[in-house]
Amino acid sequence: MIKIIIDDKTVEAKEGTTVLSAAKLAGIQIPHLCYHAAFIPEGSCRMCLVEIEGFPKLELACSTQVKEDLRVWTQSKKVTEARKGVLEFILAEHPLDCPICDKAGECKLQDYYEEYGLFESQFKELKEKREKKVSIGERLILDRERCILCTRCVRFLREVTKTQELGVFNRGVRSEISTYDGELVDNNYSGNLTEVCPVGAITDTDFRFQIRSWFLQKGDSICPLCSRGCNISIEYHPGFARIPRKKRVYRITSRENLAVNDFWICDLGRYAYSYLDENRLSNFLSSLNGKNKRFDQESALQFAAQKIKKLYDKKKISRMTLILNSWLTNEELFLVRKIFRDDLRMQRIFMVDPSQGEKDKMLLTSERSPNRKGAEEIGFDFQSLDFKGLAGKTDVLVMFGEYLLDLASLEEIKAVLEGIETSILFSSKESALVSLFGLVFPTALAAEKSGSFTNCEGKIQSFEPVLESWGESRPEWQFLLELSRELDINSNYYNQIESTTAVLEKMREEISFFQKEK
Amino acid sequence: MKEKILTKNFGLKNSFKIDVYLEKKGYTAVRKALKEMTPEQILDEVKKANLRGRGGAGFPAGVKWSFVPDVDKPKYLCANADEGEPGTFKDRYIMAHDPHLLIEGVIITCFCVGIHHAFIYIRGEYEAVALRLEQAISEAYEKGFLGKNILKTGFKLDITVHRGAGAYICGEETGLLESLEGKRGYPRLKPPFPASIGLFQCPTVINNVETLSNVPAIILKGADWFCQQGLPGDGGTRIFGVSGMVKNPGIYELPVGTSLRDIIFKHAGGMKEGKTLKAVIPGGMSAPILRADEIDLKMDFDSLVEAKSMLGSAAIIVIDEETPILEVLKAVAKFYSHESCGQCTPCRIGTSWINKIVKRLVQGKGEQEDLKAILRLANNILGKTLCPLGDAAAMPISSIVEKFNDELESSLIQ
Repeated sequence: MIKIIIDDKTVEAKEGTTVLSAAKLAGIQIPHLCYHAAFIPEGSCRMCLVEIEGFPKLELACSTQVKEDLRVWTQSKKVTEARKGVLEFILAEHPLDCPICDKAGECKLQDYYEEYGLFESQFKELKEKREKKVSIGERLILDRERCILCTRCVRFLREVTKTQELGVFNRGVRSEISTYDGELVDNNYSGNLTEVCPVGAITDTDFRFQIRSWFLQKGDSICPLCSRGCNISIEYHPGFARIPRKKRVYRITSRENLAVNDFWICDLGRYAYSYLDENRLSNFLSSLNGKNKRFDQESALQFAAQKIKKLYDKKKISRMTLILNSWLTNEELFLVRKIFRDDLRMQRIFMVDPSQGEKDKMLLTSERSPNRKGAEEIGFDFQSLDFKGLAGKTDVLVMFGEYLLDLASLEEIKAVLEGIETSILFSSKESALVSLFGLVFPTALAAEKSGSFTNCEGKIQSFEPVLESWGESRPEWQFLLELSRELDINSNYYNQIESTTAVLEKMREEISFFQKEK
Repeated sequence: MKEKILTKNFGLKNSFKIDVYLEKKGYTAVRKALKEMTPEQILDEVKKANLRGRGGAGFPAGVKWSFVPDVDKPKYLCANADEGEPGTFKDRYIMAHDPHLLIEGVIITCFCVGIHHAFIYIRGEYEAVALRLEQAISEAYEKGFLGKNILKTGFKLDITVHRGAGAYICGEETGLLESLEGKRGYPRLKPPFPASIGLFQCPTVINNVETLSNVPAIILKGADWFCQQGLPGDGGTRIFGVSGMVKNPGIYELPVGTSLRDIIFKHAGGMKEGKTLKAVIPGGMSAPILRADEIDLKMDFDSLVEAKSMLGSAAIIVIDEETPILEVLKAVAKFYSHESCGQCTPCRIGTSWINKIVKRLVQGKGEQEDLKAILRLANNILGKTLCPLGDAAAMPISSIVEKFNDELESSLIQ
């Protein structure tokens, strides 16, 4: 460790650390715009200039490495004056359109202006006129007047995606960011540019003019759309009193986790969030008294338990079929294993996941579900499902998820289900399947429940609910626990469990794979 | 008048041909360096000669060479011939009239540092000069001064001429490297310095054309002789390029330390008929301006620093009383605003902002606080930019506004 002194505070840092990072670790914020922890320092914005003993000029905090006994001042008169000067230059050519800028409220330039601004503009000249709405990608819009030429976007595409669609064109004050002739930013990580841009120069059509950022609340979650398990923030509107809200979720942003996704998420994970608010199933439905009538939770649980128990008591559990999917959390899959395989001794357990998609060279995997690895580690031995032969072998079918639709046509499913006495569906979605099943439980999505996923690399990541549950929907693990109580088999075991944390504790006791993560 | 080092062959017929050069004992320094001296001896001699960089910064060449680490990578030499500093035309004369002098200097430098590939980065506008340089290089290959086995010593060296595309910033050494690598000519952050990580991430020496052209004489006649031609800490001669309102504009090779007054009034023949001296820019456009009463000084790096200006490329721009100082300010402000690469904030926006104010002054719409604003903005650029271009713009602009404040004030709205 190397000791340096920043603003009279002794700070320890590893060799190779920059002054900026060392200061950050010690809680000293040095303003910066072009610096991004993921890229090689460029040193072009000049906001992070600090005074270092023994150097005649101000030096860059973002690129100067720590050395033993280095003395750094980040708040001296010389430093703050330089900072104000640089900021004044940036603002001189920056439009005053914060009131209509989507970045307002989370713009670093706006923050620094509040902190170091000179407020009275001394710029009497005309600002450069530039294009304010340039399409640089399928969803990306570039505003060249707002651009401060930090080149983070250029460097992201050069150093991270290595696709290099953007460059700086022209010179001096006429410099501008552009794609090459007739081309667009075209890669699966393009949405990260809106986060990489420290100002409102790059926005996406998805979020543009939708809502002011300060109305949004943020919650940590794990992206369930592939098996990478990228760390995300779900940004949602909590709602105004008396005004019905159009939707809850306005955007998904990435959350730094160097062990999983660095600072990035793919465009699938960023832009496919409408599934959280659209076509959601709100109620328990049953066909017992006619077609798809609303039902109550208690009767639904009792009905399901009674049907299962009947087979069990008659020693006909082999006539029951269970279809799972790997959108279920580790905890839920573990409870399924305990109840259905260990206690009821069921054999016919299958897995039907969304069909595979294309993977890319960075984060996106081909699996379109988050917990395939978890399902494997929990110890299911999945057989392949002969769906058409199901009817003859099944009296009770319990299915989680609606991914059967990826396997068979609606007609085929309908034909098969007609031959099954009791069919129960747990689904979050108002899909075509809903009307075909006898009993339907509305379930929560990952964003609405607690639990954990095991990603493709075997990393177990826990999460808490960000959004409130939708209508009467509830997480599967709660239904499973309640079902176990109704079934009344091995109830001592389940009575100890009240939360997903308790389930995880049990898993750690019983499955060695889950012990490694503490 | 002491001996000429750089321009001695300039008057000869076909001075650019290798036969003429050989006749005048050309390439004897290469013979001596490669056959009689070790690289260490060459380095010692150049260090002792106090050969300071002729590009503008004045960094001792021998010291620069000694920074090149002994690593298992190719090393490169870049001869900086991107002569873009306004007022400067000395390297062009060397390359046009005596290209073999430069080539000889390049060969000796490469032998000293252990380099086998040298680049000459020449500004794009010097098309005819580049052609002449290429012809000279092929002559040198034919005669065995370049190629695989130079003078049968086993030493090999190739020289490639690369023409720039017209940006001032590519004369900044790291901007030059980026450009040579085929990228946008954005200067690099230093450290690392090019001596350790330069062209294609390899150790690289970058020297000005005039600097390299001094090397053969140092090898032939020794460091002591070279120092005697100039000053002890600043050896040799300089090619002073005099332009502006003098009788005889042109290049003058004179000892380092010659007085500025003598250069203008003795060597360049004094002011043109009927003109009186108002100001002098002593070292290329980026050097702070001197008033007519400030020209009694010796033209060497240290004396000019003392006079709060700089020797730079030793290009002397002479301005007469009839030239409005506002026109000078306009030229300077416009140039740097036009040539700023745009990478870093203070230079990109600062030079453009100042240029906008100056344009307003020229239109007769200047106000009292505009002059103060120019000084304030120049000060906000000074020392805060990524490369020296920011300082190169801020220093002359401040000096013009400070020293000619009264004249500038008279052009303001009263």
